[in-house]
Amino acid sequence: MLAVDVKNIKKTFISKQDTVEAVKDVSFQVKQGEIFGLLGPNGAGKSTTILMITTLLSITGGKASVLGIDVATKDKEVRKKIGVALQDTGLDNLLTGKELFFTTCRLWGYSKKDSEVRTNQLLELVGLSEAADRRVKTYSGGMKRRLDLGLSLVHSPEILFLDEPTTGLDPGSRRVLWDEIKRLRDNGVTIILTTQYLEEADELADRIAIIDEGLVVAEGTSDELKAGIGGDVITFVFETNDDLENAKNILKNTVQEKNELRITVEDGASKIPGYIKDLSSNGVEVSSVSASKPTLDDVFLEVTGYRLEGSEDIKKVQEESKR
Amino acid sequence: MNQNRSFIVQLQILTKRMLLRVIRRPLAELPNLIISAFFLFVYDGALGGVFGGTASGTPFDFAKGNFINFILPVSIVSASLSGAASGIYLVEDIESGVFKRYQSMPISRWAIILAPMNVGALRVLLQSGLILLIGIIIGADPVVGNIGFLVVLSVAFIWGMGFAGYSVAAGIKSGSSQGAQAATFLFFPAIFLAPTFVPREALKGWLETAAAYNPTTYVIEAMRAVMVDGWELDVLFRGYLAAGLFAALTLTLAVISARKATEKA
Repeated sequence: MLAVDVKNIKKTFISKQDTVEAVKDVSFQVKQGEIFGLLGPNGAGKSTTILMITTLLSITGGKASVLGIDVATKDKEVRKKIGVALQDTGLDNLLTGKELFFTTCRLWGYSKKDSEVRTNQLLELVGLSEAADRRVKTYSGGMKRRLDLGLSLVHSPEILFLDEPTTGLDPGSRRVLWDEIKRLRDNGVTIILTTQYLEEADELADRIAIIDEGLVVAEGTSDELKAGIGGDVITFVFETNDDLENAKNILKNTVQEKNELRITVEDGASKIPGYIKDLSSNGVEVSSVSASKPTLDDVFLEVTGYRLEGSEDIKKVQEESKR
Repeated sequence: MNQNRSFIVQLQILTKRMLLRVIRRPLAELPNLIISAFFLFVYDGALGGVFGGTASGTPFDFAKGNFINFILPVSIVSASLSGAASGIYLVEDIESGVFKRYQSMPISRWAIILAPMNVGALRVLLQSGLILLIGIIIGADPVVGNIGFLVVLSVAFIWGMGFAGYSVAAGIKSGSSQGAQAATFLFFPAIFLAPTFVPREALKGWLETAAAYNPTTYVIEAMRAVMVDGWELDVLFRGYLAAGLFAALTLTLAVISARKATEKA
């Protein structure tokens, strides 16, 4: 059985002033036990999609089911199966971490005794045992995210929805959360996460759907998406705009970004000398040229026509983790 | 784990959690309490000499010798405004995203809305009770005996729940703490367009008319009946009716707003 099955869901917000199609047509399937990433910029429709699947927002059109249970008609049943940590779900800052876990355990139906046991388990799991008796308002951003994650795990959900789980976190905290998310997946929890960080999707997600302007524009494993580009990416950098414009006429099928032109070809390194020769014979001066395997960044550029920003700080996490 | 917790148990858990929040912010409880006590002392100090024991047998003898009995209901009504905190508690949860967290769980949405109202009710009882206690210490003595205190507290409770309903409706409608706090602005017309300092018969002109349409008038008069005049059942009936209608109206508004708030967009 599929963990999540989303078929052509749509969401339109209608107000007196405006009608906004936040999600135009989104379909994807998530298998049990995998991490599925919804990648896209702010406003792409990722969070709205998650809100619909988690029963917090009505679906304008299409169908979604969680473990075969229809989201629109059996919302209470769906909520029993899922754990949710959304961008805009909050924490009660006046309570301690322990009190928050205990209250949440009680609400999920644990007896007082079992709530105490589960509270201690979860505090341990998310590394907050030492801060258990401190009020949440004293927690750092990373601690709050771990607490948030822990609270979504109280009832041992089969499926976990994480909406931009690491946005705003420092590199160290991000790494801790990534490890935790992987560990949950290894323990059999299906995870659907949204992110606007390419590297986060690359690092965590078994499969990725790229969402742009309310539509799924690409879907597959990271390797499949990169292979879909077909070959290597050669990047030419030009000093002047004239050189760049001339080069566009000489090289075919290029994608421009600022003062760079990119071209995707098979066996890129061997083709560079030929391109350089063509350009110089036409008087075009190339400032630098390089060939590389396509990244998710290139995939995003290819399918959306623009580059996803804000991924730089994630690179710091990866560099730091390599040290 | 019993995922089908009863509504009552959910409400208990959420109310307890909300109480913890209140206990963690004791200073937030003080302003309304201090203002209510302040009214009691200041009005007694300023007017007690004129309308108090020395007025016995004069045309100003409406306090019948004990001005604390006469003025205490005003402070109690002021204390009962503490019910308006319900809306503020709820809006805090909406603004912080805690409301949405609970919505994502299989628990009753009504329990989420009613928990702050429960705490608001407790707050009304506590603050009114404390003001009553201060009144007793400085000489309040209901003419109908100690049962009069119960009458005063019960009217105050119903009246306070009216403010709780109003603040919840305003808070949900505006989605902001400021909206919920707007309930406190009702305080001035409620208190001062009423027979606060003298009986209604002593008011004149437009103020007399305004007081006749102000439900606070009947609430204060019902409390004064048991404190000063005795078992005047018609006055008591009007007091309970005014408080009850106000509470019914605002709680209905709160329910309508809450229903909209818990519906999926």
